[in-house]
This record gives sequence, C-alpha cells and structure tokens, in this order.
Amino acid sequence: MYLTVKNVTKRYGTFTALDDVSISIEQGEFVCLLGPSGCGKTTLLRLIAGLTDIDEGQVLLEDEVLSDVPARNRGFGIVFQSYSLFPSMTVAENIGYGLKIRNVPAAQINARVAELLEIVKLPHLANKFPGQLSGGQQQRIALARAIAVDPRVLLLDEPLSALDAKVRSSLRDEIRQLQRTLQIPTLMVTHDQEEALALADKIICMNHGVVVQAGTPEDLYYRPATRFVADFMGVSNLIPTEMVRREMPALLSQRPDAPDAQFDACIRPEKIQINADPRGSATIRSAGFLGNLTRYKLDSVFGEMMVEVHGPQRLTEGQKVSLQISPSDCTWVVNDSYEVPQ
Amino acid sequence: MTAASTNATAKRGMRLDSDKVLAAACVAIPLIGLTLFFLYPMATVFLRSITTADGSYGFANYTEVLASKGFWRATQNSMAMGVATTIVSVFLGFIIAHGLHRCAFRGKWMIRGVIVLPLLAPSLVQALGLIFLLGRNGLVSRAIGTEVDIYGFWGLLIANTLYALPQAVMIIGASLVLLDARTYEAAEVMGAKPSRQFRDLTLPAIFFALLNSAFVVFIITITDFGNAAVIGGDYSVLATEIYTQVIGLRNFNMGAVVGIMLLLPTVISYVIERQSMKRQQGRHATNVQRFVPSFYAKRDIPMAAACFAVVAMILAVIGVVIYASFVKLWPYNQSLTFKHFDITLAGGYDSLWITIAISLGAAAGGTFLIFLMALGLRRLSGGISQMVQVLAAMPAAVPGIVLGLAYILTFNSTSTPLYLLYGTAALIGIINFYHYHTQAFLTVMTGFRQFPMALEEAATTLGAGLGRTAVNVIAPFVAPMLVAVFFFLFMRSMVTLSAVVFLTTAKLDVAAVTIMRLDDAGLTSQAAAFSTCVMAVVCLALGGMKLAIILMTWAPQTSKEG
Ligand SMILES: Nc1ncnc2c1ncn2[C@@H]1O[C@H](COP(=O)(O)OP(=O)(O)OP(=O)(O)O)[C@@H](O)[C@H]1O
Ligand SMILES: [Mg+2]
Repeated sequence: MYLTVKNVTKRYGTFTALDDVSISIEQGEFVCLLGPSGCGKTTLLRLIAGLTDIDEGQVLLEDEVLSDVPARNRGFGIVFQSYSLFPSMTVAENIGYGLKIRNVPAAQINARVAELLEIVKLPHLANKFPGQLSGGQQQRIALARAIAVDPRVLLLDEPLSALDAKVRSSLRDEIRQLQRTLQIPTLMVTHDQEEALALADKIICMNHGVVVQAGTPEDLYYRPATRFVADFMGVSNLIPTEMVRREMPALLSQRPDAPDAQFDACIRPEKIQINADPRGSATIRSAGFLGNLTRYKLDSVFGEMMVEVHGPQRLTEGQKVSLQISPSDCTWVVNDSYEVPQ
Repeated sequence: MTAASTNATAKRGMRLDSDKVLAAACVAIPLIGLTLFFLYPMATVFLRSITTADGSYGFANYTEVLASKGFWRATQNSMAMGVATTIVSVFLGFIIAHGLHRCAFRGKWMIRGVIVLPLLAPSLVQALGLIFLLGRNGLVSRAIGTEVDIYGFWGLLIANTLYALPQAVMIIGASLVLLDARTYEAAEVMGAKPSRQFRDLTLPAIFFALLNSAFVVFIITITDFGNAAVIGGDYSVLATEIYTQVIGLRNFNMGAVVGIMLLLPTVISYVIERQSMKRQQGRHATNVQRFVPSFYAKRDIPMAAACFAVVAMILAVIGVVIYASFVKLWPYNQSLTFKHFDITLAGGYDSLWITIAISLGAAAGGTFLIFLMALGLRRLSGGISQMVQVLAAMPAAVPGIVLGLAYILTFNSTSTPLYLLYGTAALIGIINFYHYHTQAFLTVMTGFRQFPMALEEAATTLGAGLGRTAVNVIAPFVAPMLVAVFFFLFMRSMVTLSAVVFLTTAKLDVAAVTIMRLDDAGLTSQAAAFSTCVMAVVCLALGGMKLAIILMTWAPQTSKEG
C-alpha cells in the first residue's frame, strides 16, 4: 500500500459528500476514480491533495499520516480540468515554478524545463504565455508542471474533459505512456468510462459519496458488483432472476443464494451468441453498424436485448434467432434499489 | 410570381430601409447632442484660451499664465496633492480590497456598505466632516486639547483620500475577483507558501489594476473642486485657481488657459488607463472559480483591523456631519435640535427640489439617449461605430470644472441661439449628463454586448423591425443595466459640484452649491443639515434602485410559475 485513504467522511453542512470512503494506490499504479457528476470524486481528490479538510478518517502515505501536513508540504502534483496555469508567467516559468520554490539553481531548472518541454512535445512554446495556448497545449503544460518536481503522487482532476475528442485521445495515450515510464502513482478523476477502461490499472467506481466497487478494468466490466456499475461501465443486459429461472435456468448456477429481488443477471452484449433459427425465441428488431462490429436490438423472452457481433451485418430485421449464453458469462449483480429486509 | 409574394418582397425591402433609417437616427440624435454639448464647448474653451485681450489669436495667455507665480504654485500644489493622495488611496484601497476578497473575517458587509458612502455625498462633505472633527472647534481637537490646523495640505489630503478611496477599492477589487482559485491551489500543491503565492501570483495579476486605480485617483484628486474649496485654505490648487480666475477676477481667457492645462494630465492619464484596461480585459476567461479564503490568524487579524480602522474613519467623518446638523450650538451646546434644518439663506430648500428635478431629468433623458445610441451602434458598420464609441467615451477625460468653464464660455455668449439655454435648469441637467456620459455609456454597452445576437436575429427573422425588437426583446434584457445607469446619473447629478458651479445664478442654485455657500457664509451647521438632506435623498434613491433591480430579476421567474 503506497497511498491509503482510510474511512474518510466529508460533510458540507448536512450533506454528506463522502461517506466512509477507503481506497488505496500501489507504488507505480494508475488508478481511475470513476463516477457520475456530483458523486464526490473531486472532493476525494482534494482531500488527498490536502486542499480540503477531512471530517473523519485519515490519509496515509506509506506509514506517514498526512492529516496535519499542509498541501504545500505533501510533495504531490496536481492537474485541474482547466485554467490553472499562472497567467502572469510564461510556459517555462510555469513549469519551473515548483523547482524555484525548492530553491533549485537556475541552470538546473532551465535544463529540467527544457527536458519536460521535450517530453510533452512543446519545446517551441517556452516563452509564450498561457493565454496564447490552445486548451490541449495548456493541459500538456499543466502536466509538465505537475511532474517537474518528481511528485510522490500525481493527482489529475478530469484533465481531458475540456478538450475535443481527437486531442483527448492522443493526450490520453501520452499521459498513460508518461506514467508508465516515470512510475508515478497516479489518481485520475473521470466520468468517462471508456477513458477509465483504457488507462487504468485499477478503477474505483463511486456513487453518492461511497465507493461501489474497486478493481481491475476487467473486473468492473465483466464482473460488476451492482446494477449501477454494470450500467455505468457500458452497455449491458440486465435481467430479473425470475425471468432467468423461467427461460434459462442453466444460468442460475453461479447465482449467490439470496432473495430473488436482490440480484439480477448481467450479460454483456458481446457475450451473447445468436444464430439464425426459424424456431428461435427472439426476433431481430434493428441493427446498427459500429465499424468492426454490428449491434443488434432483439425482442426476446427477456424483453429488449442488446447483442454485439463481430463483422458486418448478417441477420435482417424481423428474422428469428436463437440465443446462446454460457453460465460463466452471466454475472450476478446487486440490485441497488433493493433494500435488505430488516 | 404571385401578387402576394411580390407584395411581401416589396414590404421587406421597405422594412430594411426603415430599419436603416431608424438605426441612423438612433445614433444621429445622441451624436448631435455630443457635438453641441461636448465637442463644441470644448472647442470654445480652447479657442478662448488662445484669444488674446485684443481679440486676435495667439499664445499670449499661455505665456502670461506660465509666467505667473500663482499658476506655478497651484500646479505644484495640485501635483503634490495628486501624488500624495494617489499613494495613500491606492495603498489603503489595496488593503481594503485584499481584505474583502482574499481574507476571511466577519463584518465584510459593513466595509462594503461604508466604503461607498463618500460617493453618495457631495465631495465637500468629507471636508465638512473633517472640520467638525479636527477643525478649531472639532471634537478631536477639543478632546486632546491641542489645536490641529486642518485647513491646507493635510486636511485636503485626508478629504481627497476618503473621496477617492471607493474608486480605488472597486478597481483593485474587480481584478482580485478575477483571480482563479485553481491557480492558487496549483501553487499550494506545488509547495508555495501564502507569502510566495501573494508575490508570484497576486501582485503580477493586479499590477495593472493598481496602475489603473492610481491614474483614476490622480485624476479625481487634481480635478476635485469641493474639498479644495472648503478645506484647502491657502493651499491653492488648479481647480480652485480656475474658479478664482473666472468667478473672482472675471478673467475668462486666463481661466480657459488653466482649464486646458488641467486637461493635459487628465487626458494623458485617461488614455493610459484605457489602454491598460484593454490589456486587462483581453487576458481573462469567463469561467473563473471564485476563491474562498479560509481563516489564517497572522494575516486576517491585522488586515481586518486595518480595514475596520479605515471604515471607522469614513463613518466618523460622514457621521459627524449628520450629527452636527442636529446639534444646537457646535461644539458648546450638544443638545439636539432641528433648528439648522430651517435654512436661512435666501431660497431655502428651493435648490434641493430643483436639484432633484434636474437629476431626474438628466437621468431619464440621459438613459434614453444612451439606449438609443447603443441600439443604433449595433446596426452600424465597424468604422463609424468605432468612431462614435471613441467620442462617447471622451467626456470622462474632461474634469468637471473644465467642462463647466467650457459651458459658461459657450452658452453665456449671445452669438448663437444656444444662449437661450443659459441660466436654465435644463442646461444644468445637460452638463450633468455629459459630465458622466462615459461611465453611463460604457455600462449600457456592456449590457448590450451580453445580449446574444442570435436573439436579435431570431426576432428579425420572425419579422420584427428594429423598433419592435428594441422594445420587446432588447429593452427587457438590458433593463437592469438601464436602471443602474438611471440611478447612477441621478445620484451623480444630486451631488456634483465642480461642473455646475459656474452655471448657477442668483436665481438658480443647486444643492451642492448651496452647501458651499452656507459654509462660506459661516453657517456650518446649516451646511451640515443641507448635506444630510442631500444624503438622505441619495440613499433613498440607492434603496429604490436596489429594490427595482431585485424586483426585475425576480419577477420573470415568479410570473412563469403563475
Ligand atoms: N464547497 C462545497 N460546499 C458545499 N457542497 C459542496 C462543496 N463542494 C462540493 N460539494 C458537493 O459535494 C458533492 C460532490 O462534489 P464533487 O465536486 O466532489 O463532485 P464530482 O464527483 O467531482 O462531480 P463532477 O463530475 O461534476 O466534477 C456535490 O453534490 C457538490 O454539490
Ligand atoms: Mg469534479
């Protein structure tokens, strides 16, 4: 455990923004904090940075308790969504600022700044002011500024969300590569599940101020713990237990022993096989072309279903098909709206 | 093509034309006003300054003025006063603005409320208050038993500082608000201490605001007439020098020369100020995250103490004027009475009522003209619109006393029909409007700029002409801005002294001039009583404005539900 957040609670007045949250980050790990707007991601990041006070619980770096260490002495690096470069300093001065504060000799600062500008591929911008840069350039500089001081932890709060799609994906890859080379433990906030899947070693999925599930991208995608996670991590077919028992009882083999309403079956669309079959129980309602795969919408005994198949469209609308699902591809997820009887 | 559609095309063609005519008229009418009541008088004052005693043109007046000891002494005094006031006001203004926006302590509402008080009273109220506090019979002088000589440099410095301080606080505060909290958090995470953040982030960011406020304070100080007239004593400054030349010595040409001389530094300051404003505006994005300071004892306790000390001083100076207006015999008999409100000077309260009428007229007419102008400018092509905007922004560079002088030279001459205006209340309303034209114009333009072009285009596409669009779509949108401008013009007209001091006659006085005359006549307590009445009117107006704006922003939401 490199960075640990232990049972942290944060309240704003009567509103609980974080409720008993515990997370951890390993040495060199890239962790994504994922969740819908307002779920407390930024709040958690700011608590770790020391920019907001904690009500209960603690933040530990290895064995050191950080609660009483002010933000400026934690030695972290942070990148915000936008507008955080110092407007009155040039790009080079921005990047070198952390080193200047640490009283590093000017020659050394210049060398480091030049090196970082190479790394973020913007050496020609050294003497420009932030106002003269594009959004993507500003975020690259903000990143360079954050890593200039070899931070113990790198914190990124939706650094890509203000950028357009193309810049976003190229910068996303660069961040990932940079983090791999430098091995800085990194926590990145995002509400974009694709971004999280592409980048993270570990994803922490939050909702309403609590951690719902933490694990590898594969875990969260194929083995979501709750309906909320399943939904949030992409398209899924969620089917109530009694329907499964009636139509495909084989799938029940993995089901935890619990009341019907507590768990639903979750099957990812690419895990369902469909074959043209005049006596099949499902009908193709529509088909959508997604490049290398085709997404079918079916009317089936389970209601409307989503199925993804590699390659071009082979089945036509109105055609009857049969469904094949292997029990190992059916995950049982907690129904978030289910209340455990007292 | 059917007859109906031909008809429609013809109609559209006409609509386009009538819109163009309307737009042109919208700009032309206020432009004629600006020409007649600003450019023409300014040209006149310049011509008069180069008209020699025998009627020919030449620079004889200038050489005469430049050779006179009085002028040099007044210039020197004005500059010394300007620089001293600027240093003190910008320093205090910075402390208060920084306290308000970057420190955490209670009671900020009080500071915000008190700091604008000097703007709500005629400038000479500061001087009056200081005399009640520190003059020969002042509360403080009597309490400590020594006589302070408040007339002259120090008294004037304090009075001017109190008068200029609100502007400094507003300008510096506006730039502090624009600083994004995230840059400070980034610096914090990078390891910068608060003192370091201040030096590396705050100071560079507000540098232009400091410079800007310095220029504004400097202009206010060297052009203010009221304070200098009441508390300046023997310390003559350019503004009082003009007054002496014109009213005392009836030497109009010399007055014109001094006026033109006074115009030089203000125009230069004004141009620099506008430039630095432009740089400031260009740099900032709209998406600013407000900085919320948290309590830090070492910084906040001294800052709060300093802020409240300054506020206490403003409150004392203005409060003592109100208090003194109720005191039977200052300072010997402190029992309370209303007798000073019984003004014994000829005319009594007439001037107050007339001033209210004039101010209402200036505010209503001015707001309407500026609305027309801003409306027309939206439809005009770039070049012309640019020129009109520059012209509309020019009056701020002209000190009130110079504008007043220009008016008396222009309108007291029988050579044009404009002479008919001389000695009328209308002319005083007009000068008040043009004196404060720039600020009013810029406010309305800001409102118009926020109005989305798409809305206007939508209205046009639906078939609304310029007139209909203006009334139904634009006016409601900019209404809060118009209300603000209306009350700004009203309040400034209520309290201004410098521009109108030349235009009042034995039969027609305005409130601020009456206060000055009462003070001159030694009726200091009545001067205080009259000031109290003026302040009461202005405060009522301010309350009215706040209420109107609240009602306006609130009404649309409630009516939607109903
Ligand atoms: N300073 C504050 N005062 C009061 N409430 C706050 C404050 N900061 C955050 N909140 C509340 O706490 C909750 C979590 O906010 P937070 O900014 O952490 O959300 P987020 O997950 O980062 O959302 P987003 O994806 O929109 O950035 C929100 O409901 C927000 O309204
Ligand atoms: Mg956030």
